[in-house]
Amino acid sequence: MKDISFLAKWAKKFWKKVPDQVVRLSIPILILIIGFIVMRNLLVPSDFGKYGHFRAAAIDELVSQEIQYSEHEMCFECHDDVVKAKNMSYHRGVECEVCHGPAAAHIEDPEGNQLPAPRERGYCPLCHEYLPSRPTGFPQIVSESHNPFRACVSCHDAHDPKPPTVPKECEACHAEIARTKALSHHVYISCIRCHKTPKEHNIRPRAHRPEKPSTREFCGECHDEKAPSAKGVPRVNMETHGERYVCWQCHYPHLPEAH
Amino acid sequence: MEEIAHQLAPILEQITGYIYPNEIELHWRILIVVYPYITGLVAGAFILASLVKVFNVREVQPTYRLSLLTALAFLIVAPLPLLAHIGHPEKSLEIFLTPNFSSAMAMFGFIYAWYLMAVLLLEIWFDYRRDLIIWAKNEKGLMKWIHRIFTLFSTDTSERAVRFDKRSIKAITIVGIPSAFLLHGYVGFIFGSVKANPWWSSVLMPIVFLFSAIVSGIALVLLIYMVVTLVRGKEINMACLDKLAGYLFYTMIIDFSLEALDFIHRLYESEESIEILSQLISGRLFVSLIVIQLLLGMILPLAGLSSVKLFRVPAELRRHIYFVSALLVQVGIFTTRWNVVIGGQLFSKSFRGLTAYKMSLGGVEGLLVSLGFLILPFIVLYILVKIFPPWQEAKQP
Repeated sequence: MKDISFLAKWAKKFWKKVPDQVVRLSIPILILIIGFIVMRNLLVPSDFGKYGHFRAAAIDELVSQEIQYSEHEMCFECHDDVVKAKNMSYHRGVECEVCHGPAAAHIEDPEGNQLPAPRERGYCPLCHEYLPSRPTGFPQIVSESHNPFRACVSCHDAHDPKPPTVPKECEACHAEIARTKALSHHVYISCIRCHKTPKEHNIRPRAHRPEKPSTREFCGECHDEKAPSAKGVPRVNMETHGERYVCWQCHYPHLPEAH
Repeated sequence: MEEIAHQLAPILEQITGYIYPNEIELHWRILIVVYPYITGLVAGAFILASLVKVFNVREVQPTYRLSLLTALAFLIVAPLPLLAHIGHPEKSLEIFLTPNFSSAMAMFGFIYAWYLMAVLLLEIWFDYRRDLIIWAKNEKGLMKWIHRIFTLFSTDTSERAVRFDKRSIKAITIVGIPSAFLLHGYVGFIFGSVKANPWWSSVLMPIVFLFSAIVSGIALVLLIYMVVTLVRGKEINMACLDKLAGYLFYTMIIDFSLEALDFIHRLYESEESIEILSQLISGRLFVSLIVIQLLLGMILPLAGLSSVKLFRVPAELRRHIYFVSALLVQVGIFTTRWNVVIGGQLFSKSFRGLTAYKMSLGGVEGLLVSLGFLILPFIVLYILVKIFPPWQEAKQP
């Protein structure tokens, strides 16, 4: 009992020695510290920092999300021929679901959940539209002038895409024309259809020049009103349309869309 | 989309060479220029105040309380440009609640809070405590209560208590100087540690920032002291003013030498970035760096201040030279911040091209808001001065 009273006396003496300022300042400081601790306990989620600088429950939230995508291998189970062809092609790095969309539901119920295949023109240019920052050699088009109004899949097989080929013997010298033509409506017309080229041209190009179409009727074979060509080909009345000129005097056949 | 294109069009015309698409528009704009400028003034003003207490420089005593209040006023405003720039001010609390020790930016809150509460507020409280008690005794109404609350209802004006106040102030100031260095050195560190940016990445950056901060802080207190004394119709204490100008002169020489050292070091190192940086200095930053920062903000005031030291200049002319020099220093230090923050984003990381910065007038990131943030500390200071008069004659004997 005596000891306790001694301690109390000592504490009282010590308390008297503590400057008034310290006592007063300690109140707001204590309020700040307690406030901070209370706020931390109230506002910080209890699982914060368990694995790192984030809520541990955030992982469970992510895991609990519904799975939308399946795996590449799953497509192979049924569509082995298509997957095999694609894996040999330029598109081998492109997953099936990049074009066909999330396939988890389709795998659960293949008949009930059919996957779409993009047929509209806007889709392929997401990767293949001309952009200066795309790597050199990556196939690119300017969709405004590259067969407008025609779906990409009507010419290209997305599972085995092949860039249009130009005869190597022409491309070596006429690469610029070949590249221009590759972007144009005339992409599938071979060079020699219009230019009758003697064999010697390959050896002595200046001595044996290829021909150019010399008659209006040549273009008329496709572009005349009565020509038996495909539906989308633009047509003119050959008798009234620029009658005194050969077509290529006004139109540029390697890029006819150009003005 | 069209609006963005409309905004970018005038910048696109000014782009030279090759730059990456995400470098066209600057991300840190005028508000981030204002932030280090204001923080620098805080650190500078505090270091000036600590000269009185730690190094016993009697002459600058008249500006002691004024510099403390100036530091506080500017410190209160310092984080506001950041909050305005980042947005979502309500989330700012999170950096305290879940501290991220590996992020220098996230540590700002703690450095700021430490400086505000453990240094500045404590020092002001201890310095004013006795006066506040005496003022409160002779006052009535609202002011009496404001003063009483700020003393935390303390009434002890005994000699022992005052002695404890003085000892505490000295201790706080000694802790305060490294804290002030930390506060502004930290701001320099944020820039200096960006290793991908050769205009910023420099070990000297925190030190250069610190000394330019001290320069701007001393110049600011000098300006405020002159204007306030003029407005109050009192006599300017020339001994104090001469001493302030002397400190300004010496810190400017250190600041100038450090910046010159940094410049020569870069020039001698001649890393691969030197070409684009020299294009930057001779082109985009020529006016703000060479003309305003170097000539107007450094060489001209240095010439003015050294002429006072070299020749016998009458008091009236001295006052004019000090005033103009301090004003030029403010402009110079502001452009220093501008050249660091804006300059560091004008060149491409490809080192092959330059973009441009077009400041808007309105909007959060505009000129008007920034001017508001630059004026706001003076309004805060006015209120602080009304509550805590820093004048010598208000001090109770």
